Amino acid sequence: MKRSWFAFPYGLWMLLFTIVPIVIIVYYAFTIDGSFSLDNFRLFFSPDIIGILLFSLWLAFLCTLICLALGYPVALFLAKTAMKRSAMLVVLFIIPMWMNFLLRTYAWMSLLEDTGLINRLLEWVGVGRVKLMYTENAVLFGLVYNFLPFMIFPIYSVLKRSDILLEEAASDLGANTLNVFTRVTLPLSLPGVVSGISMVFMPAVTTFVIPRLLGGGMFMMFGDLIESQFLTTGDWNFGSALSLVMMALILVSLGILNKTGTSANGEEGALW
Amino acid sequence: MVDDFHLIELQGVTKDFGDTLALDNINLYVRRREFVTLLGPSGCGKSTTLRIIGGFEYPTEGRVFFDGRDITDEPPYRRRVNTVFQKYALFPHLNVFDNIAFGLRIKKVSKTDISARVKAMLDLVGLKGYEKRGVDQLSGGQQQRVAIARALVNEPEVLLLDEPLGALDLRLRKDMQLELKNMQQRLGITFLYVTHDQEEALTMSDTIVVMKDGRIQQIGTPKKIYDEPKNAYVADFIGESNILPGVFIRDELVEFCGKPFRCVDKGFGSGTTVDVVLRPEDVAVGAVAEESMLTGTVLSTLFKGVHYEMMIDVGCAVLKAHSTVKQEEGSRVGITVVPFNIHVMSRGNAPDS
Repeated sequence: MKRSWFAFPYGLWMLLFTIVPIVIIVYYAFTIDGSFSLDNFRLFFSPDIIGILLFSLWLAFLCTLICLALGYPVALFLAKTAMKRSAMLVVLFIIPMWMNFLLRTYAWMSLLEDTGLINRLLEWVGVGRVKLMYTENAVLFGLVYNFLPFMIFPIYSVLKRSDILLEEAASDLGANTLNVFTRVTLPLSLPGVVSGISMVFMPAVTTFVIPRLLGGGMFMMFGDLIESQFLTTGDWNFGSALSLVMMALILVSLGILNKTGTSANGEEGALW
Repeated sequence: MVDDFHLIELQGVTKDFGDTLALDNINLYVRRREFVTLLGPSGCGKSTTLRIIGGFEYPTEGRVFFDGRDITDEPPYRRRVNTVFQKYALFPHLNVFDNIAFGLRIKKVSKTDISARVKAMLDLVGLKGYEKRGVDQLSGGQQQRVAIARALVNEPEVLLLDEPLGALDLRLRKDMQLELKNMQQRLGITFLYVTHDQEEALTMSDTIVVMKDGRIQQIGTPKKIYDEPKNAYVADFIGESNILPGVFIRDELVEFCGKPFRCVDKGFGSGTTVDVVLRPEDVAVGAVAEESMLTGTVLSTLFKGVHYEMMIDVGCAVLKAHSTVKQEEGSRVGITVVPFNIHVMSRGNAPDS
């Protein structure tokens, strides 16, 4: 019984920085000028706002898809590479993550600029200048670049732990390389895929700095919208309502993912 | 049942893992429908031999033949052999039925056929009604049976078994030994079996291959290997034995413990130093008498169930003897071994003992 006291600082932390803010957000979301109202949510259903939400979901979906397509082969390669070399490769993938993601994004801005390194290279080759910055693709590129490691590592850690003996057993039973992958390796790595998807999709859908920097504010995502309600427009009530909608969306998708994750394999996912 | 056709043949197979030489020039054949056991301590190369036949390791030197054809370069999925792995290696994401059906589905066998063959296999291994179980809900013995069924359902010509009973408790192991042997005879499949358990090897095999440090020490029937071990290593590994240094005087006469003894071995050459093997059950212990070959003092007596195990100091050595008659510790006893049971082995064959 006494030991429960050790949980006290943690409980206090939770209360101050999780419970209280949520209560405040809920309060703001359901009130206008201090009196109860559902107008904030009514406003949410306007075509503009829904449009931004759908755009965010679409972009996050594309980002997740690209991360999965790029990340799975990388994770597979890393997991299958001999111990010493793979450790070094893993570090190479981690190093960029040690840098603040804002700095990384600024670095890409100067690379993608009209007069940036890439365009100068293209001019030199003779292709000519291409508009790279402030496009939807620039935003998507920034998202993929920033979140790719979060796809690679959960898949890598599941593949790394998987038993080579199972793949040998499959090939012993007549499965060629492709069959071994589709019937054994891939299904067994699904928990890693599921946690990779949630670790990329969640932050991608709520992100707000990347679209502003690489999209030049022309491609507003849901995170930007919430941010602007608090910092620019000063409509805390509407901002809170949007935050609640976001939270609900995340909880629902997490629930769905966890369910597919556990039904795909009795084991827990890699990171959740 | 065993016919003379060499179904599997290894010619000069060597496997060098860089820091260790796992196999050193292995020459071996397995006849059709034969039960061959590779026997040896861990690290002797027996599992590597099996993995080379299965196609999971590539030999550094030498060739592997199957049914007269060189299969050294064939990947595992093209070989007509199936393996029962030491840790079973059942697919955790599939239930019992799907595990067993795995190989058949890859071969695109029709659904009704798959269902019938899997059911027949479950019957054979005594797991009727377990189709829908997850493999992690099964006991070790049941997982073992699924692993065997999963391999046998493909009707392989050779079944490779890598210490399949190693993880089971003693009782279950004994039952499974008999079952496996029965299955092998009933189905007429060639078994290549790996174990470090000499009793298991003696019980089940038609032929035993004793291995040590990547080399074959002796190949023979269980009886031959037990009765006529080729060197001290085999004698020591198969059953218990007393191994004494001796000198071969002439045919049918060998000297050890400073005395000449009649034996049945011939052809070692006068004056050759040899090892003499006396099995504990062949060492007859009794009262000191005129015909006693050696006399000694009983150092200890242990009750072992069927017999007493006695350690007897005969001056030149301490002999282990098994007898159903108990001798008191400290008493003087006489020892006799009939000439037929004195096994003479050349020293040169013993790698390092």
